[in-house]
Amino acid sequence: MNPTTTRHDPEAGRESLRLTSVSKSYGTGAGAVTALDRVTLDLPAGSFMAVMGPSGSGKSTLLRCAAGLDTPDSGEVVVDGEPMTGRSEAALTKFRRKRIGFVFQQYNLLPTLTVYQNTVLPLRLSRSRVDRERALRILAEVGLGDRVDHLPDQLSGGQRQRVAIARALVTGPRLVFADEPTGALDLHSARDVLRLLREAAALHGQTVVMVTHDPVAASYADFVQFLADGRLVGRMSSPTVDAVAERLAHLGDTVAQAHRVGA
Amino acid sequence: MLALSMRSVRRRPGRFTAMLLSATVGAAVIMAFNSLHDVAAAPGVDSASSEILTIAAAIVGGYGTLLVFISIASTLTVNVRQRSEEIKLLRSAGATPLQIKLMLVGEAALIAVAAVVLAVGPAMLGGRALLEMFQETGQVAAGVEYAFGPIGLGAGVGSTLLASVGAAFMAVRRATRAASGTDRANRGRRRSLLGIAALVLGTGSVLTTLTLDETEPAAMAPAAYGSILIAFGLALFAPSMVGGAMAAFEGMLARTGGSGHLSAHNLRRRASEMSGVLMPMILFVGLSFGTLYMQAVENDALAASGAAKTVEDKNLETMNLVVVGIIAVFACIMLVNSLYAAVSYRGGEFGRQRLAGATPGQVLGMVGIEGVVLTVVGVALGSVAGIAGILPFAALRTDSMLPDQGPGMWIGIAAVAALATLATGLGTARKALRTPAVDAVGLAA
Repeated sequence: MNPTTTRHDPEAGRESLRLTSVSKSYGTGAGAVTALDRVTLDLPAGSFMAVMGPSGSGKSTLLRCAAGLDTPDSGEVVVDGEPMTGRSEAALTKFRRKRIGFVFQQYNLLPTLTVYQNTVLPLRLSRSRVDRERALRILAEVGLGDRVDHLPDQLSGGQRQRVAIARALVTGPRLVFADEPTGALDLHSARDVLRLLREAAALHGQTVVMVTHDPVAASYADFVQFLADGRLVGRMSSPTVDAVAERLAHLGDTVAQAHRVGA
Repeated sequence: MLALSMRSVRRRPGRFTAMLLSATVGAAVIMAFNSLHDVAAAPGVDSASSEILTIAAAIVGGYGTLLVFISIASTLTVNVRQRSEEIKLLRSAGATPLQIKLMLVGEAALIAVAAVVLAVGPAMLGGRALLEMFQETGQVAAGVEYAFGPIGLGAGVGSTLLASVGAAFMAVRRATRAASGTDRANRGRRRSLLGIAALVLGTGSVLTTLTLDETEPAAMAPAAYGSILIAFGLALFAPSMVGGAMAAFEGMLARTGGSGHLSAHNLRRRASEMSGVLMPMILFVGLSFGTLYMQAVENDALAASGAAKTVEDKNLETMNLVVVGIIAVFACIMLVNSLYAAVSYRGGEFGRQRLAGATPGQVLGMVGIEGVVLTVVGVALGSVAGIAGILPFAALRTDSMLPDQGPGMWIGIAAVAALATLATGLGTARKALRTPAVDAVGLAA
């Protein structure tokens, strides 16, 4: 089940994320919606996985449960060898800010902080030593070396997302979760962002999990995990844009069929 | 549009609570005092009693109307700001600016009517209590009967409705102006000019106290008015002072850990948004501090001179305490309301901080530190305003600048301000933190 993409990273192949029979539903009674249905998933360190599926397939729920932002109803989530279930928000936060980086569609930068301050915020919050040189180097790597003292609202969408990536990488996390990171970006900016995510996996050995609905974005990943109605419905290695798009279209058919049969 | 207003109020009654509360308290105060007009107008009331009742009704009725206006305006502005998403939606669904204005004004009118209905009972009780107080101090003849009539009710309906609708118009206008992003710089300059004018006038008023005759019965008035004006002026400059204070303490705060780091940046950049909270706090502290100590000085001076309190003295003391009480209650409601709004408005920001790695405890710590800084600045500036009134008055009455009273009352006032600020801020933040961080950032903020 493990993809065989090998890395230069010595830790490559080590298990980075494991979901065991994770289920999650929202609402109760007749209105309840099953967002995740006994999902089991293993991800070795240093891989770049895209999660795809139609709207409402449970992509975002999968990401939230995997990252400890949401609690599954049942099942187990293990990140970098540590269980994420059954811990308080404070405990999860402390764990997350050392081992996990986030990139969201809406950037989620703090408007009152400059680019540099936003980037080093996770370090400040965990009272870690702030390595200014390292932070500036990361900002330079994402192409914002000359924007460190700007406020987020002085930046374009693509630049803001690159700040978010710098912030996600500054703690040297084992995992980076990205939720539709290119959803609000133009084509050019989207390409920059995807390249940075791929570099995080390929050069720095970080595990990247990206939720997206865009076949172009998915084609940057090592493999694509398809999701429909809360279940894993297939995986594609070395994805191309056309292959992903076709599989997605086909996925829509099978889902519709399943609904007709189920109804 | 009225149909839309009614549905809007009926479906989401919670968000109108603050407005309803301040309008109800306001209407009750206005009607309680104005019903004294009704009492005075009843047949068979002697002229002395009638005069005192009329004066009391006129003074506090006027104050009351102004306060109702200010507090409704402040709650409404907050309400409109919080609903900018909804207003944008209505716009994109084809509502004209006029229709939106009508909806908001309609809502305000509905709430005003509800507030008056709710306030009639408390107003009658309050009016009766006032009359009894005047009778107990011997200022009004014992035989005078309480009455709640057309003047009390009319004043209540008229003032509350007028204040609500007027405040709604202003809030909408400010909201649309803010949306188009114009006149921000202009407002800053107007603010400074207004602040300087208030400080100059206030200082002048306070200083005239010294030129008064020691036996002048209304000697407290210029000192009290001056101190209100100084409090108002200082409140206008408070935001930039918070900014300055934060810049000075930033290094120290940042060393206290994550929470301190978050607050340091926030307060400095958001200083202007703090004025909504600082204004009522400075007024509250300045007014209660100033008036309570001046009254204490007055009482001591009278006791020292050996003269018994005249009816006029008693009347003045009653009025002073009642007016201060009302203003203090209003300022407190405004403080709690604007702070509640300011903090609940920040759910999205808290969410982003949590996603960036802040624990719920760190976010609460940040809100707590901000509350402490606001309280310190508010109490300090309020105290300056209060002292500005107390010193000249004490000098006039007792030949000594420093009043004999201990710091007990001052500590009490500061404690109320601190308690209201911290309890509201932390309580609201706790509630906001119950929303999962990922959902919180998605909410319109």
